[in-house]
Amino acid sequence: MRALAVARGVAWRTLHNVFTNPSLLIPSLVFPLFFFVAFAGGLSQVDNVPGFDFPLGYTAFQFVFVLLQSAAFGGVFTGFGIARDFETGFARRLLLAAPNRTGIVLGYGGAALVRWLVTAAVLTIVALLVGMTVGGDGIDLLGLYTLALLVNIAAVLWAAGVAMRLRTMQAGPVMQMPVFLVLFFAPVYVPLSLLQGWIHGLATVNPLTRVLEAGRGFLAGSPTEVGVAFAVALGLAALFSLWALRGLRSAEAAG
Amino acid sequence: MTDRHGIEAQGLVRVFKKGPRAVDGIDLRVEPGEIYGFLGPNGAGKSTTVLMLVTLLPPTEGSARVAGYDVVSEGPHVRASIGAALQEAALDPLLTGREHLRLQTTMHGMSAADRKQRSGELLERVGLTQAADRKVRTYSGGMKRRLDLALALVHSPSILFLDEPTTGLDIQSRLALWAEVERLARDEGVTVFLTTQYLEEADALADRVGIIDHGKIVAEGSPADLKAQVGRPTVEVVPADREERDRAAAILARFGEPCGSAAEGVAVRLRSGEADLAEIVRALDAENLKVEHLQLHQPSLDDVFLAKTGRSLEGAGDEEEVTPAAELALDRA
Repeated sequence: MRALAVARGVAWRTLHNVFTNPSLLIPSLVFPLFFFVAFAGGLSQVDNVPGFDFPLGYTAFQFVFVLLQSAAFGGVFTGFGIARDFETGFARRLLLAAPNRTGIVLGYGGAALVRWLVTAAVLTIVALLVGMTVGGDGIDLLGLYTLALLVNIAAVLWAAGVAMRLRTMQAGPVMQMPVFLVLFFAPVYVPLSLLQGWIHGLATVNPLTRVLEAGRGFLAGSPTEVGVAFAVALGLAALFSLWALRGLRSAEAAG
Repeated sequence: MTDRHGIEAQGLVRVFKKGPRAVDGIDLRVEPGEIYGFLGPNGAGKSTTVLMLVTLLPPTEGSARVAGYDVVSEGPHVRASIGAALQEAALDPLLTGREHLRLQTTMHGMSAADRKQRSGELLERVGLTQAADRKVRTYSGGMKRRLDLALALVHSPSILFLDEPTTGLDIQSRLALWAEVERLARDEGVTVFLTTQYLEEADALADRVGIIDHGKIVAEGSPADLKAQVGRPTVEVVPADREERDRAAAILARFGEPCGSAAEGVAVRLRSGEADLAEIVRALDAENLKVEHLQLHQPSLDDVFLAKTGRSLEGAGDEEEVTPAAELALDRA
């Protein structure tokens, strides 16, 4: 009960700051749109490459990646905020005011989720406006957005764990770089079957590939690798929950 | 077991990696409703002690109970029972004063109606009603301190920790904060643990004072008792004619033993206390010795510090400035 009260307070403050400060809100909306336009528009001729077999076309193919990317980076951006709170000393106020400190992690996570839902809504509307076709039904789309949501949760927990261990804004690259690598070593621009050499090997073992493939399957209305994808997403979320809670203990020990 | 409104520490130690033994075996007990002044120079270990008592820093050794709860194993209960305004009022520049109170009251699980009522009450009490809807980045240092105090009080804590609450404040803000602290202890029975490096603050506010130096408590008691421990009052006389310094010394010697004074004056520690002052004036007059300056000096907490450590409290911290932030940096290194 107390953890929820703490989480509500932390989430309210984070969202209040994001939605009342354009400098915090606009980048999280503009970057995914920029990537979507750049990838889907600039590389649209990939649609004609022999072996490209995604039935809904290149815009829908890219949409799923950008949706997952926005979820992952939305979580990382929240980690930046946590690190800033530690650097400015505000986190100490939260640690002191929170009878149950687990609520602090929950609050940051809840805020990241709401923030990403807004980004996802804007991204989806823009994608539909530029002509993206959707093959899946409501259940399929629920599967797609749930997967993305789990990626968001996993990313925020990863970033929170780093932020609470290092407690400085200089931790930004440590939060961002692994997420960036995992995202871009997945089959981003072409299907896995068209990748060759070391990148194909790397993409095959990259757990995010399963999530991306399942997401594209949901959008196309022909779900594939659903069980593995959810297992990966849930596994990452669970793993990084422990990572974040250990990070919280580390921050508590450091004062 | 400690009274649910009191503080008790036994053998409290905090050692920072590659750094100093910031707190070195502190034992203390603060009674319910008491104002306890924790006095010492910069780097003495005051803030580190507070950080351990408010559960922001685990002790390396020893134990402490606050409001009856162990600070290590029962942290959530401790935090629910205490309020704290730490040395640097860490506020969010993007939030207003009222929004800070909303955050704090929400985290303590208050209902919307209670949140609104309590916030209004506290803003009025600390004199921030007019500025409540301004972003705190526009607040002065004194306003930030007052908001910090209001935030510490939202859940009506039974114990209040104030870490150097008046450092950097002008005299008006300082007196207002003293008045509020006294009111909280007197009217609401709040136990107050106050760290300060200002002698007059400890003297004016504290029922009991603990003097800390190099991580150890070197003296503890009521300000009056501590001052009585270091000795009797002194009288210093500066003759109008400096050539009559020896004659003045001879007159004063009747009333006590000589002690240190300014170069142009003479001083004695009074044998019978301040009651001798009138006799001294009469004796000087009878001997027709003109006096430029005569001063009765009561022992101060600085004298207590001097007697216990061999150094004066004023400026003692300059030789070893270790702030909590620096301590944490050392810990991370």
